[in-house]
Amino acid sequence: MRTGHFKEATGQLVALSDSRVVWFFVALLLAACVAAPFLLGNYQVTLMVSALIAVIGAVGLNMLTGTTGLISLGQAGFLAVGAYTNAILMMDYGWPVWLSLPAGGLVAALISILVGVPSLRLKGLYLAITTLAFAFIINHIILYAEPLTHGPNGIFVSGAKVLGVDLQRGKALYYLTLGTTVLVVLAALNIQRSRVGRAWMAIRDHDIAARVMGVDLVRYKLLAFMVSSFIVGIAGGLISLQIRFVNIDVFALILSIEALAIIILGGLGSIAGAVLGALFLSFLPEVIRLFFETFADSSSNFYTSYVYEIRGIAYGVVIVAFLRLKPEGLIGLWRDIRKYWSNWPLAY
Amino acid sequence: MSDLLQLQGVTKRFGGLTAVNDVSLSVREGQIYSLIGPNGAGKTTLFNLISAVFRPTSGSILFQGQDLTRMPTHALARLGIARTFQNLAVFKHETVVNNLLVGMHSHLRSDPFSSALFWGRTRREELRARDRVEEIIDFLEIEDIRDHPVGTLSYGQQKRVELGRALAISPKLLLLDEMVSGMNQEEREDIARFILDLKDELGMTVFMVEHDMGIVMDISDRVCVVNYGSKIAEGTPSEIAQNPAVVEAYLGTKRSAA
Repeated sequence: MRTGHFKEATGQLVALSDSRVVWFFVALLLAACVAAPFLLGNYQVTLMVSALIAVIGAVGLNMLTGTTGLISLGQAGFLAVGAYTNAILMMDYGWPVWLSLPAGGLVAALISILVGVPSLRLKGLYLAITTLAFAFIINHIILYAEPLTHGPNGIFVSGAKVLGVDLQRGKALYYLTLGTTVLVVLAALNIQRSRVGRAWMAIRDHDIAARVMGVDLVRYKLLAFMVSSFIVGIAGGLISLQIRFVNIDVFALILSIEALAIIILGGLGSIAGAVLGALFLSFLPEVIRLFFETFADSSSNFYTSYVYEIRGIAYGVVIVAFLRLKPEGLIGLWRDIRKYWSNWPLAY
Repeated sequence: MSDLLQLQGVTKRFGGLTAVNDVSLSVREGQIYSLIGPNGAGKTTLFNLISAVFRPTSGSILFQGQDLTRMPTHALARLGIARTFQNLAVFKHETVVNNLLVGMHSHLRSDPFSSALFWGRTRREELRARDRVEEIIDFLEIEDIRDHPVGTLSYGQQKRVELGRALAISPKLLLLDEMVSGMNQEEREDIARFILDLKDELGMTVFMVEHDMGIVMDISDRVCVVNYGSKIAEGTPSEIAQNPAVVEAYLGTKRSAA
């Protein structure tokens, strides 16, 4: 059992972590992430880019749903707005990618104000339905605003260059995504430990008490929508860079539900949980594929012909299992393990 | 000393029900002012009116000469008005420290951008807030539970956290709604001591709704009695204890035996 860890200054209390061990492992993890493209094949790197984009999107949604308690089924809509803004600005207006990517986030943030206004009155399921409606509206606007969005034809995205380096080729996109992920996670952690994050969680736990404590509900609910959608919009922009072709089919309703599943699986309200949940659900299909390849040689046809069904069933089973057995999610599991090891060999 | 809070002809109707009927009263700076009355007399409604959670149907509520009836609820913290709730209204998923820090909200300035950077001024103001919260934790003697999620604490401890959260506002006027209900004798005495310390050491004005007559009679400077939404008496604790109208409201009228 560890003892003798004392805090001697307020700075240690406010710090993200004052433990050298934690920072050592964070540095190790970052080094591993930086080295990964040199050790892994192209396919694995592509997978990691998708996983990191899922992390960004999950951290964004977690701010709104986990921290502020506003359930949103409109994530697919915000992703689409980010992706289309990035694609249109890059391809039709010739903006450089370092401008069009943040612009995608900004446009998503501005549109989120429209979605956020009903949230001032609605909670829970009612808000979920409103945001769901928003995703459908965005879908239709993209489909019918052909002069701007190219409608059903979609947009090819190519030639994203920064300082002559093609971001969509080789390892560059991976490093762009990795850098964005680190920045987003850091920003989210900082917001969570400061005035804004606390105001959000106050709204989630008791909105009248929050008002009496001086939290302006209108302002902070809209801010939650804006900051969350900004991050999700950037994730959308990255998707458009990765898949090189944006089309409305990419942003189906299932994406919103997956996003919600990720943060529930990870543990609502926890940033580390959102990260774990996103990585878990991103790599789950790969684990299933490996499983079928290793243990069922003869039936690997079975997997390839029913890949979507198997994946859907696996998602469902995992979500139900977690809600039933570990409602605190992966982060709760992690805390249990940590407690077990720091108390070992004692039970408590 | 001057009047800190002044209610003039405050009335609140919910449909056909008059919950508060033409109540006027004034609370002086540095006083402990108690509001008592039988169940359903309108005490909590009056508190909700003062803390701008409800709007009065008519009348005015002045705090240092400013009318509160048109102000948004969240503006009151900055003026220096804090309150606790009759039934717990803590942020139960968060730690004690975070609950108290929410009370510091109106004293801090950072926005999402500066929060995300957590550098320079934001970091300094967070450090200051944390120092202040540690002082309150020290004052309320809740050091050992500071990192516990509030939802896991006992009722008495949660009430104490709520008091701490109100103190984090650094209020001029502290509104306490049935602070000691559901507490044991020891916890009640602790709370009474805290309230007296707040008055004597910080010069805080305390306005409390209370059912516990022991505390009301022991520590109040003035007591106001309401019944069926109307004020029926006001005075020092000893005057109130002898007031026939008050005795009638609580115990009923005496009938001669037939």
